[in-house]
Amino acid sequence: LSGSGMSLSCPNHPGAHLVEDHRAGDVICPECGLVVGDRLVDVGTEWRSFSNERSGTDPSRVGAPENPLLGSSDLSTSIAVGFGSSEGDQSLANAQRKSMNNLDRQMTQAMSVIREMSERIHLAKSIQDQAARTFRDVLDTKVLKGKNSEAQAAACLYIACRKEGVPRTFKEICAVSRVSKKDIGKCFKLILKSLETNLEQITSADFMSRFCGNLDLPNMIQAAATRIAKKAVELDLVAGRSPISIAAAAIYMASQASATKKSAREIGEIAGAAEVTVKQTYRLLYPKAAQLFPEDFRFDTPIDQLPLS
Amino acid sequence: LQMNSPASHLGSGLGGDTPSHHHGLGGPSSILGGGPSSMLNSHLSGPGSVMGMGLMSNQGPGSVLGPGSILGPSSILGPSSINMGGSHLMANIAAGLLLSQQGPSSLYVGSATDRGPASNMNLNINPGSVMNMGGGPGSVFQDHNPGSVGPSNLAVPMTPLAGDVLERYAHGTQALSHSAIPTTAMSAAPASVLDIPSPTLQNIVSTVNLGVQLDLKKIALHARNAEYNPKRFAAVIMRIREPRTTALIFSSGKMVCTGAKSEEASRLAARKYARIVQKLGFAAKFTEFKVQNMVGSCDVRFPIQLEGLCITHGQFSTYEPELFPGLIYRMVKPRVVLLIFVSGKVVITGAKFKKEIDDAFSQIYPILKGFKK
Repeated sequence: LSGSGMSLSCPNHPGAHLVEDHRAGDVICPECGLVVGDRLVDVGTEWRSFSNERSGTDPSRVGAPENPLLGSSDLSTSIAVGFGSSEGDQSLANAQRKSMNNLDRQMTQAMSVIREMSERIHLAKSIQDQAARTFRDVLDTKVLKGKNSEAQAAACLYIACRKEGVPRTFKEICAVSRVSKKDIGKCFKLILKSLETNLEQITSADFMSRFCGNLDLPNMIQAAATRIAKKAVELDLVAGRSPISIAAAAIYMASQASATKKSAREIGEIAGAAEVTVKQTYRLLYPKAAQLFPEDFRFDTPIDQLPLS
Repeated sequence: LQMNSPASHLGSGLGGDTPSHHHGLGGPSSILGGGPSSMLNSHLSGPGSVMGMGLMSNQGPGSVLGPGSILGPSSILGPSSINMGGSHLMANIAAGLLLSQQGPSSLYVGSATDRGPASNMNLNINPGSVMNMGGGPGSVFQDHNPGSVGPSNLAVPMTPLAGDVLERYAHGTQALSHSAIPTTAMSAAPASVLDIPSPTLQNIVSTVNLGVQLDLKKIALHARNAEYNPKRFAAVIMRIREPRTTALIFSSGKMVCTGAKSEEASRLAARKYARIVQKLGFAAKFTEFKVQNMVGSCDVRFPIQLEGLCITHGQFSTYEPELFPGLIYRMVKPRVVLLIFVSGKVVITGAKFKKEIDDAFSQIYPILKGFKK
């Protein structure tokens, strides 16, 4: 559908509805046959693919879709250097990299870093896009000028996870990134200040499914641990503790009361909390254990036989 | 009401002056209608505007009526004070403008040219009468500025600013009768109800210029309690026992003195270090002594809901339990940072004067009371 046909009209028949001829690329007046517009750009597919051809990629469209916010706004070509690339390909890519705009280069570099990190923890494409958008906004404001670009990308990814409602702990982001938690934390605070966004506070429940899944704990224990953590916060037993530690201690208590017992060390490793922290927080929960468990919980080890620390 | 008596006393003393000087503040409705910036412009003109400009530059995303950043004196009177009538709010903002100046001496700067010296002392009465409500029954006039306030000063002729402020103060408190239960309770039995703790200074960092090039190696060799490791840090680290402080002495002659518990102690310690350097044979002088940072701490003695505080005061607060267990509150009006913990302990830092620490704590205290667990 070319838009140019709308502004054209036949000089002899101004009111006539023009007809498009795709094969010749012409706009023709049906009354007199005059060719009113020619050389129309066809925006149909570049290749035709047939059902009996089984190929991995569908070549009907050549090239990736345009990424206006994130990538460069012009219609430039980027050279991709793959596995079987020759000398010529490499030199072409180098030449293009040298001549590319600094801002766009940083952007594409960050996008590749974000994609790499997201792949390792299996994050959805929407989170990657959100992180890239955040990075673009931050790049435009230049507040993170001096900071390590990997730290910036990691901070953007952390913010994206939190915004989408599936927060990842700083330690989890640290595990897939090369920067320290301190650097990510610094960049994170700077980004929040410059973008003036307010993020929701993290709660223990956000992490329950992931931690329990990694520990292969059944759903019942996960539900019990979620309830323990929620009740503990309501009863204010764990005053200054990080929600991660509370989640870890709740999982410890729930698993110790069930058939599948996990040690504090294992839970600490999965949650990113120290073993002593898990035990300390568990000690705070222990006195009120009876109130914390859900009513319908099936105890393999009764409450009075739970470990003391 | 104890609170009213000094104010009304002053108000009556103003009777003859105020009508002719009302242009200064105008009517309450006109000022509030104009908004905070216009209030400041009409209120402070000329050299006095140094305070106005200062105030405006400090206005963060919150407005004048925003979270506790400007209502210095009014916040002491308890949460009901925030709902006061317009005139009282104006009065308190005016008082707050002057109050939040750094130190007594600066109060004289802006007002010296257009008002007599007497008015400065009268203006100090406001801080005295408001800030010391927590001090107990007899302490209404026990100001921090001992020389400036006294019953004898009250009879001095007032200038428009002070007069209007105090008159409105008097009117405002009377208008508050319906919601004045906390204030009346306060003035009736201040000692028992107003047990607001006051912050104690923990650390003072100051710098001084000794004015002469120093040979650090010689200092390190001859002085006791000095360490010098040029590969690690390019300064001599010297310590003295009384006042217990540490000094970093650089080869340019500049020195940083840390660890003192009061401004006087910091100055004394810096002088002692300068004396030590002098005794080692350098022509040390004691110039440009300046307190760079003061850290104070306090305990509000009740647990605090940091989550709620972070949500309501989101523009000033940062609370990331993964990164730091306390809430970081960046206050705008005295530009200080407060670290607020769940236990109720508060650390105030970034101040250059003790007054800033006290102001900051007095502003944050009612906010924290609202988030008591």
